[in-house]
Amino acid sequence: MVEKEYQIIAKNYELAGRASSDIKKKLKQENIGRSLLKRICASCYEAEINVVIHSVGGYMTFSHEKDNYIEVNVYDDGPGILDIDLAMTEGYSTATEHDHMNGFGAGMGLSNMKRLSDVMEITSTPLGTHIRMIFIVGESNV
Amino acid sequence: MKLSEIINTYHCHVYHEELFVDKDIDFAFCSDLMSDALVIMNSVKDDRILDHSILITGLATQQSIRTAEMLDVNVVLLVRGKVPSQKVIELALDSNIILISTEYTMFNISGMMYQNGIRGIKYYLQW
Repeated sequence: MVEKEYQIIAKNYELAGRASSDIKKKLKQENIGRSLLKRICASCYEAEINVVIHSVGGYMTFSHEKDNYIEVNVYDDGPGILDIDLAMTEGYSTATEHDHMNGFGAGMGLSNMKRLSDVMEITSTPLGTHIRMIFIVGESNV
Repeated sequence: MKLSEIINTYHCHVYHEELFVDKDIDFAFCSDLMSDALVIMNSVKDDRILDHSILITGLATQQSIRTAEMLDVNVVLLVRGKVPSQKVIELALDSNIILISTEYTMFNISGMMYQNGIRGIKYYLQW
């Protein structure tokens, strides 16, 4: 059983990716296939970058309590996503030129996370956004 | 191509000689947008492909190193003469990523590498 929580600091590109990197190290110690591992890490990284770009800060939790799935929860403290359907549209972004200069902000993050995870749920209010992602550990992924 | 051939042929600068492994490079992906690298390279299910791949980018920030790390790609080539900061160089060392750079532009280096037999990574590429 692994459970960990990571703080994510808004607008800090130097630390962005540190949580996902640690999650990767933790998962590498477990008996998880590389394909699943890469899907989880890329999704966590996109989620982490989203919090850095769009929120005033937040945190991410990672748990592998049950054998059959891995759960990642990402919480931030706002300002929330006004229109989730629009935000899920590939290419739609409210990111700035500074974010583009860091290799992100092209409006692909949420759709990539949905594509790479097995289940993704988003709830958002002006007080914050919560994203829950589930990755199923199937026979093909061990 | 051997990594050493790439380095010599395209006059690349190697940031950490101590990490250098003269591996075969058979595939490459180039992008300045890391989200595309994350999703397209993730669609490749054959681990051998990414083991023998290089990420070509003009993005000289920590994010190109982090992206390579998430994908288990351990060679990053910076193009257009980009100079990484000391923090980026240190992150590459910590992440065991061979960071190299060249003055060539992304299009030109990609064309030359393609001519030398290196294949481009695309969705669901098979060996």
